[in-house]
Amino acid sequence: MSPVPLSRLRWQRAAGKALFLSPIVFMVLFFALPLALTVVWSVFERTMFWMKPGFTLFSYENFFFSARLENFLASMMHSSVSVVVAFVFGFPVAVFIRRRIPQVAQHRVILLFILPFMVSEIIRIFALRPVLQRTGLVNTVLLELGVITEPITAILYTPMGVIIGEVMSFLPFIVFAGFLAMEAVPKYVFEICDDLGARPHRVFIDVILPLAAPGIFAGALFIFVNGLGVALLPNILGGPGAVNAGLIATQAIAALDFPLAMAVNAIMMTTLLGLLYIGHRLFDLTRILTPIN
Amino acid sequence: MGDDYSSVWSYRLKWLYTLLLVATLMLPVFYVIYISFNKNGFGAAEYVFTFEWYGEIFSDLLLMGALGNTMILSAITLVVAVPMGLIAAKFYKATQAKLLTVSLLLSPLFVPADILGSALLVFFKNLNIACATIGEWLGVSWFDTWFDLGYFSALVGLIIYTLPYIFVVILITMGRYPEQQTEAARGCGATAWQAFIQIEFPQIRAGVFSACAFAVILTFNEYTRTSLLKGGYDTITTVLISQMLNEGMSEQSYAMSSLISFIAIAVIGTIILYTLFQSDRLEREARAKAEPVMSS
Repeated sequence: MSPVPLSRLRWQRAAGKALFLSPIVFMVLFFALPLALTVVWSVFERTMFWMKPGFTLFSYENFFFSARLENFLASMMHSSVSVVVAFVFGFPVAVFIRRRIPQVAQHRVILLFILPFMVSEIIRIFALRPVLQRTGLVNTVLLELGVITEPITAILYTPMGVIIGEVMSFLPFIVFAGFLAMEAVPKYVFEICDDLGARPHRVFIDVILPLAAPGIFAGALFIFVNGLGVALLPNILGGPGAVNAGLIATQAIAALDFPLAMAVNAIMMTTLLGLLYIGHRLFDLTRILTPIN
Repeated sequence: MGDDYSSVWSYRLKWLYTLLLVATLMLPVFYVIYISFNKNGFGAAEYVFTFEWYGEIFSDLLLMGALGNTMILSAITLVVAVPMGLIAAKFYKATQAKLLTVSLLLSPLFVPADILGSALLVFFKNLNIACATIGEWLGVSWFDTWFDLGYFSALVGLIIYTLPYIFVVILITMGRYPEQQTEAARGCGATAWQAFIQIEFPQIRAGVFSACAFAVILTFNEYTRTSLLKGGYDTITTVLISQMLNEGMSEQSYAMSSLISFIAIAVIGTIILYTLFQSDRLEREARAKAEPVMSS
């Protein structure tokens, strides 16, 4: 057997290393870099169809001293409401699965919540129109049952519609995050609580919440940020008043005001990083990663 | 209170609630499927069952062309993103800088579609201008159109979108693989590649295949990034959106939506059932091995 030449071996090792690093390089180049550069582009000057290098805070002025800020704050409100509603409906399921379902079956039950997520976002969101509209499923059924005498119109093309859409789209994430978070609450803890005679609400507030806080925060942040950033939701379900950051950005792009879109992006990223920092200081978010290590 | 067996009814009620919640989340999709079988379309006074619209999908050139484009995009995403996720998971296992790696790979989950899409759009436009300027400078033009908006830019957006999911799915399956087996194989003289293909891969195969299913379905369903980065209305989701926002959905589009939803549900349903049986089988085998053999 002839020995492999050293130079070829060295070359092979270098190629292997490059391959090994390729996902990281890709993510830095096409994910981290463009997002970091939004800050630079946001202070560029707007030209007719594009932008030119310069330094102006005009885009930020344009954002903070117009109806856009009100819309942004209103969409933060709606997003927060969605987070709370999704938590109230979804988190108990995560607790139930961890606490009552046998260990081996837990993952299978959790997988059920992947199903809605596998159907296209646009189909799920659009499908809410025939369900919620004046002549839609909800109104027809409620009218037939005699619960209401007139169709409810407040649930579509209103901020309410957007909140319903956000909850319907993102609820599975609070179940997933809650499920991961509940890994930090071993089953024997519940047994101890039972033995000590703790009431259910005390168990929830004093035991489950503090232990599962990092995971709950991650799930809540996901819903909050997507509620702010997914333009489809207000676009399809919201009325004239429902505008979120994602919609402001895409409208700015459509109007060829690129610096404004980039300013909105920079503001969104700052909001996200700020919340992540606060969450990390409060709950030590690295605890979420324990299950995969 | 609190005993698992003392309150059967509360247990059953909680199960019922869980299933009802999933059903509620799926309700709009089922309603669209129901509408798609109505001969008279949405909102008609009477419901006549028909397969007609499904037949017409295939003669709808707009939808068929869109289907072709979407398939190309998801095939390329699959071929590029899944190996990348695999490499990333291997990298994560080997590296010291775990926190940095995992945050970089998972953070796309927290950046909304429209934000990343518009940032990438401006990024590519700038790259384009840079390429054209440098090309003019050097007097060559062959790389002028590298970063034009089109398949390439859309694919970059889609890979960033799918990579976190692929990474997590593969990483979780890899967690169950005993690393010592690779060491043993290497000790027996196998190359790193042989050890991976012959020893490790067969054991993480299920995870890799589910990651493939994820990549294809997510790409099929993606709208925002594709529309921002590719431009034009020529993929399934962009065609559907343009109909929804403009002239209203055609009956064929209801049928098309139902069809792709149905396929996605079927694929993931199969995977769920498969893992269900698989884990049952593995568990039974493990139990059989753990139990002492009784002579009969």
